Amino acid sequence: MNLSVVKAYMLKEFTELLRTKMIIMVYLLPSMILLLFGYGIRMEVTHARTLVIDNDQSHFSRMLTAKFEHSKYFDTTVTQMSEAEALHRIKQAKTDIIVIIPASFEKRLLHGQKSEIGVFVDGAFPNRGMTMENYVQGVVLNAAQSVAGSLGSHGGLISINSRNLFNQAMRDENAIVPGLIGLVLLVAPAILSALMIVKEKERGTIFNFYASPLSRSEFLAAKLIPAFLLHSLNIFILFLWATEVFDVPFRGSFSLYWFAAEIYILISLSIGMLISVITSRQIVAVVLTIIITIIPGFLYSGILMPISSMAGGSYIEAHLFPVMYFNHIVYDCFLAGKGLASAKTAEYLGILILYAVILLLLGTALLKKELK
Amino acid sequence: MAGLEVRDVTVSYKKKVAIRKVSFDAKAGEIIGMIGADGAGKSSLMHAVAGVLRFEGEVSYGGRVYRSPKEAEALKTEFGLMPQGIGLVLYETLTVAEHLDFFAHIRSLRQDAAFRDYRQKLLHMAGLSDFADRQAGKLSGGMMQKLSLICTLLHRPKLLILDEPTTGVDPLSRLELWDILDSIRKEEGTIALVSTAYMQEAAKMDRILLFDEGEIIAMGTGETLIDSVREYTFEAGKCPEKSSSDTACFSFDKRSYSLDPLPSPHVEPTLEALFFVNALRKKRTLPRLEIEARESKTEIPETVMEARGLTKRFGDFTANDHIDMRLKGGEIVGLLGANGAGKTTFIKMLLGLYPIDEGGLTLLGKSIRSSDDRQALKAKIGYVSQHFALYKDMTVRENLIYFANMHRIPLSTAIKRINRYARELGFNDYMDHSPNELPLGINQRFSVAAALLHEPVVLFLDEPTSGVDTIARAQFWEMLHRLKASWGISILITTHYMSEAEYCDRVVLMRQGRKIADDTVEALYAGHPDAKNFEDIFLSYYRSET
Repeated sequence: MNLSVVKAYMLKEFTELLRTKMIIMVYLLPSMILLLFGYGIRMEVTHARTLVIDNDQSHFSRMLTAKFEHSKYFDTTVTQMSEAEALHRIKQAKTDIIVIIPASFEKRLLHGQKSEIGVFVDGAFPNRGMTMENYVQGVVLNAAQSVAGSLGSHGGLISINSRNLFNQAMRDENAIVPGLIGLVLLVAPAILSALMIVKEKERGTIFNFYASPLSRSEFLAAKLIPAFLLHSLNIFILFLWATEVFDVPFRGSFSLYWFAAEIYILISLSIGMLISVITSRQIVAVVLTIIITIIPGFLYSGILMPISSMAGGSYIEAHLFPVMYFNHIVYDCFLAGKGLASAKTAEYLGILILYAVILLLLGTALLKKELK
Repeated sequence: MAGLEVRDVTVSYKKKVAIRKVSFDAKAGEIIGMIGADGAGKSSLMHAVAGVLRFEGEVSYGGRVYRSPKEAEALKTEFGLMPQGIGLVLYETLTVAEHLDFFAHIRSLRQDAAFRDYRQKLLHMAGLSDFADRQAGKLSGGMMQKLSLICTLLHRPKLLILDEPTTGVDPLSRLELWDILDSIRKEEGTIALVSTAYMQEAAKMDRILLFDEGEIIAMGTGETLIDSVREYTFEAGKCPEKSSSDTACFSFDKRSYSLDPLPSPHVEPTLEALFFVNALRKKRTLPRLEIEARESKTEIPETVMEARGLTKRFGDFTANDHIDMRLKGGEIVGLLGANGAGKTTFIKMLLGLYPIDEGGLTLLGKSIRSSDDRQALKAKIGYVSQHFALYKDMTVRENLIYFANMHRIPLSTAIKRINRYARELGFNDYMDHSPNELPLGINQRFSVAAALLHEPVVLFLDEPTSGVDTIARAQFWEMLHRLKASWGISILITTHYMSEAEYCDRVVLMRQGRKIADDTVEALYAGHPDAKNFEDIFLSYYRSET
């Protein structure tokens, strides 16, 4: 490989990227995906619109109402409307939860009798409905303990003391943003490398490569190195978005994150290169790259569901795509911080390197220096 | 001496054979011209020899043999290929100087004083010295081709392969390209393979290969080739109406061609005669064009279009500088000029595709001030753009129906007209093919049919014949003349073929956004008694003004 030839070709690539303003896309696209998805995907429910119909107006009923009012998960309105009217409001999607406290609530409790609270939850979105239902149960349980306490009984002997490891705050950002980095770094570099090669095919300038003594490895180096360097900066930009804007903690080794991300970019660039082998139109290359990278990148990112809970076909597919391995490392770096001490992380890093080598070799082998 | 030998080269694609067992050779310093209809296999052969396309057979250059692109790899330092297409190998956003640096670097040229002198010389020859900092995308077509050529020449190739370097380039730029080529091969002993669509150019080559359907059907110097068709070339006359179907004759460019003797005297043929005689021999005669009168009754106004001081500026660049022009009813006006002279801009202003910056325009008796004024006239104007705006994924028939819908022609009328045009303009056999499967000549004819569907009064044609082969061009002009005769239609047409100017009633010459001549062909010839053909007249105008 003649380095001065590669250097000259790279200079041309950088000049073109700058003058065609493609450089804007290189930096805008990854950050945009991260911000849009980062703010857009929400698993937890806050500010559920709640109607509390207090038919009792007693000390205990007000205690329960206060628990709802003081929770960030509920936007509580206490009313006296009829049950039918309240149900009508759920149908109109004006409220999410209705809690009905019966008239004899306090009296029955004081007499040691069982009392039933009516709860209606909008279950149009099953996940959200289930979450809201759990919240309501939690609040009611909490209130029941307080009531038991004030009655001097020992009703609150057992209390649940659960703790979530790695994501104690149960923050969505912590669960989603690191996974998005794995998605973004798979999509964006692949689009760039596919475009850089296919553009020359579509325009006809590829003849300069075909008809000159330029070797295939020189051509590929000139195409991939600029894309690699430009996207390497995105590793840091995305890291800053995650830690500074989304406040995701970073507990692991930065150099592991950085190294794994560079390998991952190489994989993405090679996917773009492989796509450029089979396409000759820029628009086709972009669409194909997006389909090939975004769908598995999203499905198997661990954002929607953990790979370990997948079964059958999807489990195998998840293991075929590089996203899963990279995301494991990224989640480890951000949330767990065990680094290479974990055998699984080390193994996955090895798999990523192998992936990069195979794809690069495959791309080089398939790229032909002649017209089709 | 390093020579080129091509032995039994065959190039086949999935469906068809592009070149079948072709052999020829070339000596150092020789320029080999390649002529033939499009699709005849010239490009495929050039790509094979340049080592960018797989082929069967073998090529030997300087005693070294190669049978595949891989084996040719080692020789590529000595090859230079300029593929077909204006500015095809240029990067739009790179400047002229950056192109030369880029090509020098990827060819690993030593950038010493001798190289810098040579680079300067090439820039000067191409007339690009003053444009070193201009981006390639902002050059005119002719300049792009000159830049492509000097980029190809930068590493002093010993085998130069140029695929239609002059198509779509104006006569002046063509001459300049030829001068560069001629001086380089004399100095460097370069073998050059050059394909061209311009026969005056082919006549200057040392040897000519005539391609037809993947084979070389004639080979020799221009002289010998012309000798071979002399007996079939006659002074232009009306082709005798034949009763038997197996004889025919063509008339084009002041000559008639027939295998059987014609009553008119023989005249000196040009290389174009080769195509006609070959077509006659292979009985590839074309159906006679008959065009019926238009269906709708239309008054033909005396003046169809009148432009007064039309001006168009792009930033501080004036593309059209106060152009006056008049197009009368039933008149064919040819708009000629170098690349970048402002012909396309002018037509686009007439059509309302560019806003008019200054001046007045009257179309069909109506003064045009706003786009509303045009709306009513759209039904009377037909336009064919430089690149034939056809949909590649639809068949010819579907394309035509789509255009008819755009003009809100009732479907039954549209289908009737489409079938009639298909018959009359001779593309009936191609109705269910998609445009990219068809030769340019056919696409060109059905593009015109699309522009005629609404039976316009005036037709604007922007370079409809660039890259179209001789016979198709002859047919095209015959079609235009018949249209004019039976429809009384007015036509404004731009072209780079100077011989085509003679088919126009009047010629308007443009240069750097200004009109420099506007007269009938006869009057222009009378004003230039030395001119042998219209190209001479064109060049004299261009040279006298510089």
